[in-house]
Amino acid sequence: MATLTYRIGIDVGGTFTDVVCIAADGTETLAKAASTPQDQSEGVIAGLANLAAALNLPLGTLLARCERIVHGTTVATNALLERKGSKLAMLTTEGHRDVIEMREGLKPERYDLRLPAPEPLVPRRLRLGVRERLRADGQVAIALDQASLSAAIEQLRAEQVESVAICFLHAWRSAAHERAAGEAVAAALPGVFVTLSSDVLPQIKEFERFSTTAVNAYVGPVVSRYLGRLRGRLGEAGYGGAVFVILSHGGVAPVEEAARLAVGTALSGPAGGVAAAVALARAGLGQNLVTFDMGGTSTDIALVAEGDAALGRGRVVGGERIALESLDIVTLGAGGGSIAHLGAGGTMQVGPQSAGAVPGPAAYGLGGTQPAVTDANLVLGYLDAGNFLGGARQLDLGAAQQAVAALAEKLNLAPADCAMGIHRLVNARMADGVRVATVRRGVDPRDFTLLAFGGAAGLHASAVARELGLKRAAVPLFAAGLSAWGMLQSDLRYEMARSTLAAGGMPEDHEIASLYATLEADAREKMAAWYGGEIAVQRSADMRYGEQVFEIAVPLDDMDWTSPGLAERLRQAFHARHRALFTYDLPEEEVVLVTARAAAIGRLPPVASAARAAGAPAAPQGNRRIRLEAGDVDAPVFSFDALAPGQALRGPAIVESATTTVLLLPGDTARMNVGGWLEITL
Amino acid sequence: MQQPHATPAAIPDPVTPDPVTLAVVDNRLRAIVEEMGEAMLRTSYSQILNSSRDFSIALCDAQCRLVAQADHIPVHVGAMPWAAKSVAEAFAGNIHPGDTFLLNDPYFGGSHLPDLTIVLPVFAEGSLRFWSVVRAHQSDIGGATMGGYNPGATEIWQEGLRVPPIRLGEGGTLRQDLIRMLATNTRLPRDFTGDMMAMIGAARLGERRLQGLLTHYGAAGLDAAVSAVLDLSEAHARRILATWPDGTWHGEATLDDDGFDRTDIVIRATCTKQGESLTVDLTASDPQTTGFVNSSFANMRSAVAMAFAFLLDPEVSKNDGAFRPLTVLAKEGTVVWARDGAPVTMCTSHCSNEIVEAIIRALSACCPDRAMGGWGRRFRVAIQGKDARRPGRSFVWHLFHARPGGGGSSGGDGWSTAGEWHSAGGLKFGSVEMAEARFPLMFERHEFLPGTAGEGQYRGGLGAELSLRVDSDGPARANTAGDGIRHGSAGMCGGQDGRPHHYVLARADGTEQVLKTKSTGLAINPGDRIVVQSSGGGGWGDPARRDSAARARDEREGYV
Repeated sequence: MATLTYRIGIDVGGTFTDVVCIAADGTETLAKAASTPQDQSEGVIAGLANLAAALNLPLGTLLARCERIVHGTTVATNALLERKGSKLAMLTTEGHRDVIEMREGLKPERYDLRLPAPEPLVPRRLRLGVRERLRADGQVAIALDQASLSAAIEQLRAEQVESVAICFLHAWRSAAHERAAGEAVAAALPGVFVTLSSDVLPQIKEFERFSTTAVNAYVGPVVSRYLGRLRGRLGEAGYGGAVFVILSHGGVAPVEEAARLAVGTALSGPAGGVAAAVALARAGLGQNLVTFDMGGTSTDIALVAEGDAALGRGRVVGGERIALESLDIVTLGAGGGSIAHLGAGGTMQVGPQSAGAVPGPAAYGLGGTQPAVTDANLVLGYLDAGNFLGGARQLDLGAAQQAVAALAEKLNLAPADCAMGIHRLVNARMADGVRVATVRRGVDPRDFTLLAFGGAAGLHASAVARELGLKRAAVPLFAAGLSAWGMLQSDLRYEMARSTLAAGGMPEDHEIASLYATLEADAREKMAAWYGGEIAVQRSADMRYGEQVFEIAVPLDDMDWTSPGLAERLRQAFHARHRALFTYDLPEEEVVLVTARAAAIGRLPPVASAARAAGAPAAPQGNRRIRLEAGDVDAPVFSFDALAPGQALRGPAIVESATTTVLLLPGDTARMNVGGWLEITL
Repeated sequence: MQQPHATPAAIPDPVTPDPVTLAVVDNRLRAIVEEMGEAMLRTSYSQILNSSRDFSIALCDAQCRLVAQADHIPVHVGAMPWAAKSVAEAFAGNIHPGDTFLLNDPYFGGSHLPDLTIVLPVFAEGSLRFWSVVRAHQSDIGGATMGGYNPGATEIWQEGLRVPPIRLGEGGTLRQDLIRMLATNTRLPRDFTGDMMAMIGAARLGERRLQGLLTHYGAAGLDAAVSAVLDLSEAHARRILATWPDGTWHGEATLDDDGFDRTDIVIRATCTKQGESLTVDLTASDPQTTGFVNSSFANMRSAVAMAFAFLLDPEVSKNDGAFRPLTVLAKEGTVVWARDGAPVTMCTSHCSNEIVEAIIRALSACCPDRAMGGWGRRFRVAIQGKDARRPGRSFVWHLFHARPGGGGSSGGDGWSTAGEWHSAGGLKFGSVEMAEARFPLMFERHEFLPGTAGEGQYRGGLGAELSLRVDSDGPARANTAGDGIRHGSAGMCGGQDGRPHHYVLARADGTEQVLKTKSTGLAINPGDRIVVQSSGGGGWGDPARRDSAARARDEREGYV
């Protein structure tokens, strides 16, 4: 037998580390290990050991035959959420040291005036003004004052900071002052992590740039140390190949880049799921998808439009603004573990409190007494108490019924109606979340397919899609481990951006051409250092009308870049995009080019999944009494794994696997796709 | 053609909706206003809407009761039903499906002239069922000064174009001639038209979503669910009120001046809490003024609702039910309720903020843990001039930087530079880099100003210091509009007042001029600086009770 080579995707979640391996023949194998929050690399190695065992190989042999590892990590996210990052300071333009604490005058929760103000990531005493100043055009108004810089550095030394963010006004225009200050800090304080705003996000708007840079300085040392440990452990275990990390924008980059721009890993966790959606879209699921990743405590919603994941720059993680291009994921505070209760306002609510893993839903029998969504689903018959997670966990139906009955009494409802109510309310909230997420992107969700994954999504997919007026939903068989699988489908990606502000709004043709040529050359050079294959470049521009303050991103890939009239073509592209998004354009108005962008993309060879073997349609493995809105029915129960490609089902029915359960409602028809997903037509 | 429908639907027979339907409808209504807000944000044209988010969205039922409102600018909370009522009265018996109504007049359900309100009737089963309402602040509304704030106005006609309730469109078609006439009366017709289209789009989205709900639940079923939602909010508010002691308390807040002959204009609130009800009596407030700090009736009602909402739990739904325990008494001809014809443009800031402050001050003796120190007052500066980098074009720049501080409370120290009572952290100031790139301005300094916050067990938030050099091409001119250089944000429950605003025009020749809050035509020469020291927030609780660790932190971090 020929020696197989492998590619491995590793997704570190809150509870489990999923490891997915795709062999050169397309065989997919999933292994799990408990996550190890103190040092995630331990859980990674344990997961790899389990994978090796599943493949019946020594770990060293598996790793020696492995040609690529792609990793999703929550180290940066956790450091930010738990405020366990490095001790950091900021050097900034004298007279402007409060930018990150002013937060542009905004405060969340409009009617909560007693809400305490957040602690700034960099305490005020460690935000040090340095005498220097650039004008908006990059000209020096006040030269970098060495005495002032030296004094600040002495203060950093005295405070023993681990990390320094250097954030000067207008540094997006000219990085000279930041570079000089950065070199001085590095020379005086060896070992300290230094990061410049002109490196992290060379774009106009100081709050976004400073905040993003501060986050980079905060999580940078932690992420660097972690990735160093991971490399070390993998090396000891026998791996000498490339390690990639999936970044917030859904592309992957080598570990060295992830360590340099650690803030770019803040959304690494959920990025894998969206990457998987993109891969499924390309595999024939359809160009327009709404991802619906319903887990225990929260649900992530993202859009894949025309085959590409929607990106945004408005992320807030742990209360901190991160303005890098990131997947535009909307997170709702409700999932399978969310608790149903009588809210202070007197109406039934689901979440945001969650039963978590411990005690978990009442049905887990670990002491939970309040009804979670999972309890309601069990009471309604959608879940099988004896076959939950493939029998890995025995559910306690009596405890679930008791918890639901207690809430039903408060609401003066029959227990079964209360369970139905919890299910309906969660569906309505999910549908509302999708509506807001899609209107924000300016699209009508009715043309989209709902792609449901995450343990809890399958029971709600059909109802949520119906509420939204969608015609199609899909649930991949490989629902668990989908994120890790998605990481293996992602391309290498490196982004370059540069703001520009010409007096007339739009630079001359030759200026635009040279700006993009420089960006593209830089991006290609960076990518070439990572990757030997063919490199594609995507160009886009952030533009706005003269008096607007929000730019919109305009893709420029199919534009003619050589003939005269380039500036005018950019303007026309903007008008068209504005029309598409907002229904109107203003052809007479000045168009301003604010930021030019180029992304170098290294297309990693796709890893095909093995086609599913054809077979005879599977018969139901039994029947179960379930409750639907119209009343009780006996529904056939199918094994998801046993469904043959092309096999058709008709609702009402239940489809179960070890990782997920799908509820088909009356009127639904479903077909098992050869690509490995159940396609539901509503 | 559809048949006209003269009257709102009769109140249906009580149908008791089940708790699940109730919860779903409650969530849907809130999601609809949120979605309308997102649409508005996406499509509006002017900076004041898409950046500063100075707009509000509401749904009212056929009785013009507030059903749901999106959380945007607190000063609009509770004001929107008055706009719907005004339309319902003006067009009683003559309201049809497909109609679009518009108003801005403060004496016909509006707040002040720059705020346009679109009111759309929603019909089902042959009767009017809901109103979809969108209010948004326009960049300009005509009148004597750019941007609508005219401190020299002594009558409303000098403040801009008055629009009583008008039918802007019928049968789903807008009157383009009317829109052109309105737009022509503003200095920024393109902004005006673009923003109005965005408002109509958002209102229509609300109508469409309500139609979905009406189809699903039937008109009677939805009415019943909405009524039950309102009843639950009422019960929620009353449960909170029941925990407050009964009694009567007085509170005052004082405006600096009206820009003419009056200084120290007092708003007086007498608040009586009894059982599960609250009466706010503003009748003892000073008479109306010559200048524009008067409030319209709807704006006054809104300010009272805002104060009440601030004292309740934040999760209470802001709808008609929540405000039912509240009775408001006021007298026409006072500064809180001016007679038709008086100027009112400043009222969404002043005297709104003073109405809130007087009420909070009165009730700080009743429910001290819920009261909060005063938030800052608004002091706007607009500069008009030329930029050498853009020959032939003039610029107008509005000051949103150097916001005042928020008030301290039992929850902690106040938010620094988070703004005023009426915005409460909801208005964003723009980027300094962007401002310098687009305007001939140099922000030499823009930082917290220690020492501005009112002391307290929990101190106020800090105000800011701004040193702004104007590098205009030739002389520029500035207008100011605001309040708060005599009176700082109020301390509450033993906390101290924040320091008042102090704005100075520091001339390149070394002379200085302290700026007044209500002035026009201020001459500025290139190289002159506007030096702003904005007010801090009011403190909460006796400063002697301030935690020593908090004091040490203030010292260490340079907040004092």
